[in-house]
Amino acid sequence: MSNAGQLLRWCECQFTRLVGLLGRVRDDAGRAIRAYWQRVRGPKSGQRSRSLFRKYAILLVALVGGSLVISTSIEMYYSYWQSRDALSAVQREKALGAAAVIEQFVKEIENQVGWAAGFLPAGSGIDQRRYDFLRLLRQAQAITEVSYIDPEGREQIKVSRLTMDTAASGADLSQEPKFTQARTNKRYFSPVYFRKESEPYLTLAMAGAARSAGVTVAEVNLKFIWDVISRIQVGKAGVAYVVDDRGLLIAHPDIGVVLRKTDLSGLSHVAFALNRLRDPGIKVPAISRDRTGREVLTAFAPIATLGWLVFVDLPLTEALQPVYAALERSAFVLAAGLLFAALVGVWLARRMVVPIRALATGAARIGGGDLDHRIDIRSRDEVQRLADSFNDMGGRLKESYATLEHKVADRTRELSEALSQLRALIDVSQAINSTLDLQALLEAILAHACRLADAAGGAIYTFEESTEEFNLAAAYGMSQELVEAVRKAHRRLHDDSPLSHCVLKRSAIEITDLASKSAYQMRDSLMRADVRALLAVPLLREDAIVGALMVRRAHAGTFGNSMIDLMQSFASQSALAIQNARLFQEIEDKSRQLETASQHKSQFLANMSHELRTPLNAILGYNELMQDGLYGELPSKTKEVLGRMEKNGKHLLGLINDVLDLSKIEAGQLALSLEKYSMQDIVHTVVSATESLAAAKQLPLNVEIADGMPNGRGDERRLTQVLLNLVGNAIKFTDEGAIRIAARANNGIFAVEVADTGPGIPEAERGRIFEEFHQVDNSNTKKKGGTGLGLAIAKRIIELHRGRIWVESQVGRGSTFHFEVPVRAEQRGGAA
Amino acid sequence: MTKRILIIEDQEDNRAIMRDLLSTAGYALIEAVDGEEGVRLARSERPDLILMDIQLPVLDGYEATRRIRAIADLKSVPIIAVTSYALSGDEAKTREAGCDSYVAKPFSPRELLAKVRALLPSG
Repeated sequence: MSNAGQLLRWCECQFTRLVGLLGRVRDDAGRAIRAYWQRVRGPKSGQRSRSLFRKYAILLVALVGGSLVISTSIEMYYSYWQSRDALSAVQREKALGAAAVIEQFVKEIENQVGWAAGFLPAGSGIDQRRYDFLRLLRQAQAITEVSYIDPEGREQIKVSRLTMDTAASGADLSQEPKFTQARTNKRYFSPVYFRKESEPYLTLAMAGAARSAGVTVAEVNLKFIWDVISRIQVGKAGVAYVVDDRGLLIAHPDIGVVLRKTDLSGLSHVAFALNRLRDPGIKVPAISRDRTGREVLTAFAPIATLGWLVFVDLPLTEALQPVYAALERSAFVLAAGLLFAALVGVWLARRMVVPIRALATGAARIGGGDLDHRIDIRSRDEVQRLADSFNDMGGRLKESYATLEHKVADRTRELSEALSQLRALIDVSQAINSTLDLQALLEAILAHACRLADAAGGAIYTFEESTEEFNLAAAYGMSQELVEAVRKAHRRLHDDSPLSHCVLKRSAIEITDLASKSAYQMRDSLMRADVRALLAVPLLREDAIVGALMVRRAHAGTFGNSMIDLMQSFASQSALAIQNARLFQEIEDKSRQLETASQHKSQFLANMSHELRTPLNAILGYNELMQDGLYGELPSKTKEVLGRMEKNGKHLLGLINDVLDLSKIEAGQLALSLEKYSMQDIVHTVVSATESLAAAKQLPLNVEIADGMPNGRGDERRLTQVLLNLVGNAIKFTDEGAIRIAARANNGIFAVEVADTGPGIPEAERGRIFEEFHQVDNSNTKKKGGTGLGLAIAKRIIELHRGRIWVESQVGRGSTFHFEVPVRAEQRGGAA
Repeated sequence: MTKRILIIEDQEDNRAIMRDLLSTAGYALIEAVDGEEGVRLARSERPDLILMDIQLPVLDGYEATRRIRAIADLKSVPIIAVTSYALSGDEAKTREAGCDSYVAKPFSPRELLAKVRALLPSG
């Protein structure tokens, strides 16, 4: 298949050129198109659309070009084979024709020689034979020489056109192939030989029919075959030639080649053809190389008689010239087709990409917010429909944006309204919380309400339950005349007015157009004041009527639900404010009363104390003077009575003092008098004051005072009072045993304890004994008497010193009272 | 020479007790029943010691003490405040006003006498 390979290589080469050409065309076109695009849509967005464009362009070119290449290739392939087969057939015909002519020629010679050989018997006379032979030479121009060899192999006669005839030369030719072969096969053809180095000759030997017949030998000039061959015209450069059964060139238009005794058995087609003579199954290649190495289209025909072969060769270049021409035409057509396909592809791709690109750009602009942008595509296909959809979408988006903007604007307005309402409410509630001036508060609420309600004026009324009348509490934007008219109107609960109605119905009442209301007590006054619409909202507090809020507009129309809600908020704020103010007023009144009462109480106590003390002072003073004998010596019995009087008088004084102390403590009026003191001195004072009491009950007072106690700062008299109370109690409740008093200083604290061996205090009572008027409830204490105020006062005094007091006790074994006070006490601002 | 004591006291009973007590003890007494009279007598009589009630009509004891202290010759005359227990804790106030000592009512005559003697050593 080397021929097919050849063709394909050629095709490939052509195609490569074509592709190269197209590549350049494409590159140029691509550059031009890119430049165009860059100009059309700017530098940035090229990437995506170029690739899309390239994709489409390549696809279209490949589609058109591919189909062209395939069809052309198939066309050329068949055209090639048809051309070649046709040429081969023509050449074979020529070869066969030549072979037939040559065979005919040889056969004729053979017949003529056979006739000459077989006509005379072996023993015929020489002359007869010469005659026959001369006639033969005359008839057959190709025979140059004819001779007869007798059965013994001796040449008897030879007649020639060129030399003198020889008779009975007697030359022994019995071993010559022409004799032996002819005797064996009746007929013999010698190989071709040349005479005068220019003329090909063939020796034809034929034996006679009889067994004893001799052999007639004719030398045949083959110039006739050369003529035949030369006459065969094959194309321009094609040749016909003949080779013998060994492959030697016998006849060729160029005689020189023949004379050089060219052996063509080395050429493949010759070799195959020679072999085919023996084996018909062998195929002979139609394309081979001739002796000069040219590729040729070859055909052959055998000359059966002689075993020769006639070849007709045509140079392949010439033979395939038409095919090549056809191929070139096809290639041209292909190139033109590809170019066309490329152009069409580019055009189509552009047609496809431009709208898509426009679509993409337009969609991007719409997407980017340019909702007015319209994509202008008139391709009347899906892209245009898509573009239309985008335009539609853009339009709808714009519409919905517009709607949205309206909505946003509406919402914003509503929000800002709500915000200002909220601010107003906040202002109002702040005002409520920060001021107790009800008048100012109501005016502020009313001003906010009127401003937000777009009202020209308004009023707040308070309701007086006792008289069932409304009083004008605050007015806004009302003329003096109108205020006067309202005040004079004495508006009552059961009037026929929005004010009364809203309060009785417990809900807002709206009059959208005052002009349409005929029966309304304030109508004319309001109409004169340019009021056209009004809204009355009740002020309620837990369903109790507090008053009403009224706003008035100079124009007719409804206030709207949200405004009514807002006004109700203001109304409840106002109600709250009014109630707060009333409560505050009440509290203020109460606390003023309380203060007065407290002052009265203090005054009473002070007075009582003074009044009680003054006679007591005299009683005790005189008693003491009498006991001291200032008024003369008294009998001892009288002295004893005076002693009892003194004791009871002092007890009474103690009670009065305790009550007074406690009331002062409760009133927060007990202030410490902080001065330097000595704890040691306090203990000694208390001991010396109670010694006689203890001695009377035969109770030893054991005193333990630590050494080197620092001086303290505190209320010495009050601390003395505390210790005196503790020691007095200890003595009072102890019948036997001892009283121990101890004092020490530790870490800036005085620790004092008073221990007794009395009855002790049950645990449940221990905490309570420091409460006012509390005594351990048993018969013993009742017997002992006392106000029960002493420990409570002691506790307060210690606490005023920032100290503490407590008791440890075991029932039946005694109690120990402890108190601790800082060495340096500080004033604890008047609190109890 | 007998020491003279000015008693400024509105209560007759109290004045009587003091009178009995102090005259027995050998002091000469001048008596005033309100603050104003007290100041006037202090100025005119130049007592050696003054017993000053605090709760006085017309002029209270604090003010009377201050006015007496304002008199040049009376800057150092001992003044014992005799005050009601009801106003106890005001001891500091009496000292501020210029009193030298303090006796709470109801006072013990013995105690009062001891304080008077302490302030009039030569008596």
